[in-house]
Amino acid sequence: MTDLLNSPEDMAFRKEIRDFVAAELDPDTRAKVARGAPLVRDDFMMWHRSLYQKGWAAPGWPKEHGGPGWSARQRLIADEELFRLHTPPLPGFGFKMIGPILMRFGSTAQQQRFLPRILSGEDWWCQGFSETGAGSDLAALRTRAERTKGGWLISGSKTWTTYAQYANWIFCLVRTDPDVKKQEGISMMLVDMSAPGLTRRGIRLMDGTEEVNEIFLDQVFVPDDMVVGEINMGWTYAKALLEHERLGIGGIGRSKHLLERAREMARAAGCEAEPEIADALAEFEIDIMAIEATTLRLMAAAEAGVRIGAETSLLKIRGTETQQGLTELMLDIAGPSALPARDSGATEEPFENVAFQFMNWRKLSIYGGSNEIQRSILASQVLGL
Amino acid sequence: MIRFDIPDDETLLLRDTAERFVADHYGLAQRNVMLEQPPEQVPPHWGEMAELGWLAAAVPETAGGLGLSAAQLVPMLEVLGRGLVLEPVGPVAMKCAATLARALPDAGAELEPILSGERIALVAEGAPGAPVSAVKTGGALVLSGVAPLVMAGPWAQVFWVVAELDGAPVLMRIPAEAADVTPVRLVDGQVAARVCFDGVRCAQEDVVTGCAEALAYGRDMALVGVLAEMSGLVDALHGATLDYVKLREQFGRAIGRFQVVQHRMSEMFIRREEVHSMARLAAEAMEGDDAAFRGKLVSAARVKIAKDARVVMRDAVQLHGGIGVTDELAVGHMLKRLLVLSQVEGGRASHLKRFRALIGL
Repeated sequence: MTDLLNSPEDMAFRKEIRDFVAAELDPDTRAKVARGAPLVRDDFMMWHRSLYQKGWAAPGWPKEHGGPGWSARQRLIADEELFRLHTPPLPGFGFKMIGPILMRFGSTAQQQRFLPRILSGEDWWCQGFSETGAGSDLAALRTRAERTKGGWLISGSKTWTTYAQYANWIFCLVRTDPDVKKQEGISMMLVDMSAPGLTRRGIRLMDGTEEVNEIFLDQVFVPDDMVVGEINMGWTYAKALLEHERLGIGGIGRSKHLLERAREMARAAGCEAEPEIADALAEFEIDIMAIEATTLRLMAAAEAGVRIGAETSLLKIRGTETQQGLTELMLDIAGPSALPARDSGATEEPFENVAFQFMNWRKLSIYGGSNEIQRSILASQVLGL
Repeated sequence: MIRFDIPDDETLLLRDTAERFVADHYGLAQRNVMLEQPPEQVPPHWGEMAELGWLAAAVPETAGGLGLSAAQLVPMLEVLGRGLVLEPVGPVAMKCAATLARALPDAGAELEPILSGERIALVAEGAPGAPVSAVKTGGALVLSGVAPLVMAGPWAQVFWVVAELDGAPVLMRIPAEAADVTPVRLVDGQVAARVCFDGVRCAQEDVVTGCAEALAYGRDMALVGVLAEMSGLVDALHGATLDYVKLREQFGRAIGRFQVVQHRMSEMFIRREEVHSMARLAAEAMEGDDAAFRGKLVSAARVKIAKDARVVMRDAVQLHGGIGVTDELAVGHMLKRLLVLSQVEGGRASHLKRFRALIGL
């Protein structure tokens, strides 16, 4: 695999990460991640604790909030190495979403209460944005909050809520003013998952997992101090997420991990030298290089003070296309070996999770703004169409 | 090491000078007049290009050049690419001068007239699998073989022929009048030549041996020049198409208001950005001593840019519609230039093969 970040300082930093992972990562967890098997709460939490003790839990956070103080370049390297070394990729709802929102828009009390608990893993956050009638058109959301003494009463439902079964907090976008332009009547609220009136139903996915949930809210009380920023400014806060941590959105580490896995499978299947397979593997390596080169170019521009905005949508589009393409190449390589169900007892390594991965990674081009939405964002915000 | 630093003042000065040059000399109508000239006639601006330092830019200072890095030249070459210039800056500066600076023990004397624009010297090579060869006959060497396509070939005073001698590559200095040079007009109007070296004699002192490393470096450098020009052309096609879809109205509105067109323009934008990144990546790879790392990145850039450029050409024409297939817009001329640049210095397939070998596939 070609690493573009290979200066002596880069290599020393890589070694620091490798040494840490070698000492800390549980071998069973490592094997699970390496094989591409589904992960559960304990897999994430054990690794989270190790990172937290090292001070590396939230790479993108500033030092005063407990981040490691890494440069953008170091964060890219860390992301790549942690994927390569088969550490569990920690969900970003706390670190990459509500954490940064609270740092920028939350009250001091909210920051003091929640940020340390995100860092330590005491709180697990999930995201209450999508609804059945509000997916790509998120601003059409209908879950409403009505004024009551000392706070708000939320009624409605949320869906596609990843890992809500593990979460004790959810940050929700809710409608607080139905009579204005749809983007202008939305607020962001922090809701305790154990609050009366809140129920959850798991959604079984085609890959057999239950990663996502529906959340039902029936007159759930939210006190005033759990409103983020100002009322009716929620859309602005949600959009600000688009500017945070977006340089990592190409998922270079994940792509390299999948490519290495595909090569391993090709070797195991004895088809690594077949022209169709070898060409495909080589072209994926080149495609990943192009995403990485573009990421580094945008990073250099950002460090020089150029404002990088919606351009990063291209990283998401190309990154997810590459990752999904790799799962398809794995199917080509595995042939019928991809077919036995995960619990059939007839699976064989390294092909055990090929079909699971193909199914599970469909979500990449759908969540976080579908690739179609990303293209429309590029057209309107970058190209002026 | 890959850094992608923001362009420094020297880089920007070179680029800005090139922009002024293209604006002054390369309007489409002016260029069409140049294309009508007989193929033997050197385009008129060669001396000016030498004076501007473009030929000496990439040559180390120890060999009489300006000692700039390949990455510093990319923005200038992008401008020359999009400007569709006809003078052989790439073949002379990026290929021949870069190769000689590494291959010749004391390159300064040989390079001086080349960098000053007095003499055009070009590298001439056989087709893949059919190299020019040399055999010792008495005190001299006798060549046989053909270089089927030497860009700007009719304008050369000197060919540096890549020939096989005793199973190893050597460079042989051959005055152009000693070879049989047949001009070849290319699809984009540029001039090349088929050069036959059968029976040409070369004195022993005009042979450079032990130059395999310099040849490999020169090929990569030449390709970086080609890729930078392609990057400029892709950028120009993207810009022209974006302007057009904002202006052209059908069904009562600009066609750029239709989502299907918007998404195709987003795709073109992504490809433009990838091309831009890969051209710079290849240029940065020219620094440092790791030839395998360099080759891997340069070949990867070739593969990616050739593929992206093809999609951009295709969509630029498609979104322009009928007017896009005429010879009246720059679009057609840019497409033809991209076609030529996609085929020289090893095309997509050969560099994918090289890349595969370098990553052990």
